[in-house]
Amino acid sequence: MDILVSSLAAGILIGMVLALMALGLTIIFGVMDIVNFAHGEFLMIGMYAGLLTAQATGMDPLLTLPFAAAVGFLLGIICYFGFVKFLLRGPMVAQLLGTFGLMLFLRNVALLVFGSEDRGLHHGILVGKSFDVGMGVIIPATKLAAAVLSVLAFCVVWMLMKRSKIGKALTATALDGQGARYMGIATERMNALAWGVGGGSVTVAGALLVNFWSVNPFVGLLFTMIAFAIVALGGFGSVPGAFFAGLVVGIITEIPGIWDFFTYTFNIEWMANVPMTSLKYMWVYLAYFVIMVVRPRGLFGWKH
Amino acid sequence: MALLEVHNLTKDFDGLRANDDISFTLDQGELVGLIGPNGAGKTTLFNCISGLHPVTSGRIVFDGQEITHLKPYEVARRGLGRTFQVYVASGDLTVEENVMVGCFMRTRSRTLANVRAREILADLKLSDLAGYLVSELPVSAQKRVTMATALGSDPKLLLLDEVAAGLNPSEIEEIMTIIKHIHDDLGVTVMLIEHVMELVMKVSHRVIVLDYGQKIAEGEPATVAKDPLVIKAYLGERYVREHGEKFK
Amino acid sequence: MEALRNALDFSDFPRIDLIVAGVVATFLVAFPLTPHSSFAMATMIQFLMFSLYGMGWNTIGGYGGQVDLGKAQYLGIGAFTTAVMLIRWDIPFWVSMPIGVALAVAWSFIIGYPLFRLTGHYFAIATIATSLVLKDIFEVWDFVGAARGLEISPIKYSPPDFLRLIFKEDIYYYYIILGFFFLGILYVNWFRKSRLGFQLRAIKDNEAVAQSLGINVHWAKIKTYAIATAFVSLVGSFHACYIKNIEPEDTMSLDLSILIALMAMLGGAGSLWGPIIGAGVLIPLKSYLKEWLGAKAGLVGMDLILYSLIIMVVSAAEPRGIWGIVEKIRRRKQA
Repeated sequence: MDILVSSLAAGILIGMVLALMALGLTIIFGVMDIVNFAHGEFLMIGMYAGLLTAQATGMDPLLTLPFAAAVGFLLGIICYFGFVKFLLRGPMVAQLLGTFGLMLFLRNVALLVFGSEDRGLHHGILVGKSFDVGMGVIIPATKLAAAVLSVLAFCVVWMLMKRSKIGKALTATALDGQGARYMGIATERMNALAWGVGGGSVTVAGALLVNFWSVNPFVGLLFTMIAFAIVALGGFGSVPGAFFAGLVVGIITEIPGIWDFFTYTFNIEWMANVPMTSLKYMWVYLAYFVIMVVRPRGLFGWKH
Repeated sequence: MALLEVHNLTKDFDGLRANDDISFTLDQGELVGLIGPNGAGKTTLFNCISGLHPVTSGRIVFDGQEITHLKPYEVARRGLGRTFQVYVASGDLTVEENVMVGCFMRTRSRTLANVRAREILADLKLSDLAGYLVSELPVSAQKRVTMATALGSDPKLLLLDEVAAGLNPSEIEEIMTIIKHIHDDLGVTVMLIEHVMELVMKVSHRVIVLDYGQKIAEGEPATVAKDPLVIKAYLGERYVREHGEKFK
Repeated sequence: MEALRNALDFSDFPRIDLIVAGVVATFLVAFPLTPHSSFAMATMIQFLMFSLYGMGWNTIGGYGGQVDLGKAQYLGIGAFTTAVMLIRWDIPFWVSMPIGVALAVAWSFIIGYPLFRLTGHYFAIATIATSLVLKDIFEVWDFVGAARGLEISPIKYSPPDFLRLIFKEDIYYYYIILGFFFLGILYVNWFRKSRLGFQLRAIKDNEAVAQSLGINVHWAKIKTYAIATAFVSLVGSFHACYIKNIEPEDTMSLDLSILIALMAMLGGAGSLWGPIIGAGVLIPLKSYLKEWLGAKAGLVGMDLILYSLIIMVVSAAEPRGIWGIVEKIRRRKQA
């Protein structure tokens, strides 16, 4: 029983971080309809940013977040003005391949600069501490903190989008780019801002993630696909959708634990032989496919 | 003989009633106009008939068979062709190739499709433009190409959606000749949505008028033009007074 | 035999195109007989293989306008079918390859039916998803060697073996793939003139209009997808016999799927020559970049950095590819 609960708990916790990561993608997609293949690479860069800042300054990893956010924000804006802007003019094929090229570029620059070994964060006030919530479930403090901070960051962005003038301008551009332009909203700047905010949220998620997930230049693709699955489930363009979908997908990544629970509780032998751990991300990809075919709008999506 | 029967067709879009309990019949050999102010539901009606929109309620019978729930390509294969008002093309096909697509509905052979396409192009005076990309042509030519393409599928009934929109007077004359040719010489039953009054009132045997999704009048052009409901909704009293002669 | 006539009829191309094609074809036939390095030969074989992948992709991606980024899974099906059948049951290539194609096509129909309810980005991402799912399954499936993959050791057979496609010298492989290459061109030439080809182009143009002309859009796309799959699977089977060492990470990766799409796009999606041009530019580029830059210590990944920059520049500057530029220039001269 405790396997089940701890799997679910772990799933929810990581789900919140994943939701924050996906938030960036849904904002970018909502505002300008471009699918960013390099999204996972942004996450990867955020992870490195958090890692290196913490190691260089000896700061607690949790304090590196503003720095990671700044890196992400800048990176997003640079990518927009330097490259994405031109992609928007072309056909969708070009956009897909273009952001894929960006993905390869970022990945290989990271490889060049950081080398290919796994790196992880192992210091900080929370490392090694954990909470025992009963039922044999132990939650590492790092994960809990990451989840809480993710939710906070999420709320910040959500507030920004809903209440601030800039946020409303972003939403307006997302709903109707032409119309927004007629209202005097500078769409160019909105696009860049979307990339900035999107980039920033991803890197913060990365800086949080690196506390319990090692980074190497190749982690990007997996997270890009996870992000797609979350955004598809939540509905392209929907911020609350990204949150709930993030939780669901987080739980999906814990399928091995849930599978084990059923295997051992009901003593089903063939289930024990299935290498679920290696297949756990497959469920995420399948989830994307099934959702898109069955309910393309996702849970809360308004844009299709 | 009734070629098309529309019985109590209603189409709702999430609370907006675009077509409200519309009924009419079309006999083989007729040339019927469908008019009404913008937003009256004319194109929606075409979309329902051709299968692009599922109907909320009502029945459509074409050539004796129920087509209410058929998919658009199934409707087309029964001999119901149409053109579209807004033609967005990604610009890959030439005029001749475009018409051939229509012809391919009736044959698998490229040679035969090509021969038939050339015939139609010649008939509609488009042969000179055969090698051009459709997207490169001026609007008037594009409209003729869409009609030629629809003809390629050898329809019994052809629904034309505002083929005269955006044309200057001499181009309108040209299109009018083509429509008459399609109807009189090629024997195709035609129903056309039109805003250009001189055109639709002149060629139609009969006119159906929609307003706010409902059918408000039906009859010969001259009669309809004088119908107070129609005038109120659409033509405007002053217009009829000044241009009444055109409708005789 | 109108189909055959259509396949062989290139008369709707301008004369200059045919002359260039003739020259290139002659070069391709004569190449192995000229002095060359084994590296060059390997690159040429890769070029021919990727041209075929690209040509297959082009049917659904170029003419059809549906960007498919998951073709590598079919490469895997073709490759592993041939490899498994050879290793376990000593079944020759010419039997295992069609079986591989049949399996791949069957799989493509199964996922194609739901897949083509999607369009645009959603479709593209879904193709990636299905490809990754299959790859993950192959990586844990012992029957196909799991993540380690399979190895065909040429010592067990006595090359040159034309039945099983095991050779010591690359020249044999070259001519076989060249044969498929020419057949592929003929097939695509037939395709673009066939009813299905026209239907696809109409669909790409405007789906609603296509429907109104009696085209069953969903089914046309699925059929074309199956054709693209057949191309990829066929060459995949060849790949197994040529490379002899296959694993899911190499044969079914996303990078490979993207490369295939990229090839066709760079050369000009939607045209007959496009994928070939694209392969002709990208494959030597990739190979030689790797040779010169990749091996140098400390500069790991430099070749890929340059390669990715090229992708980015092309996507942003000329999305219609090289052939698109050629056509643009031609049309300007005509006007």
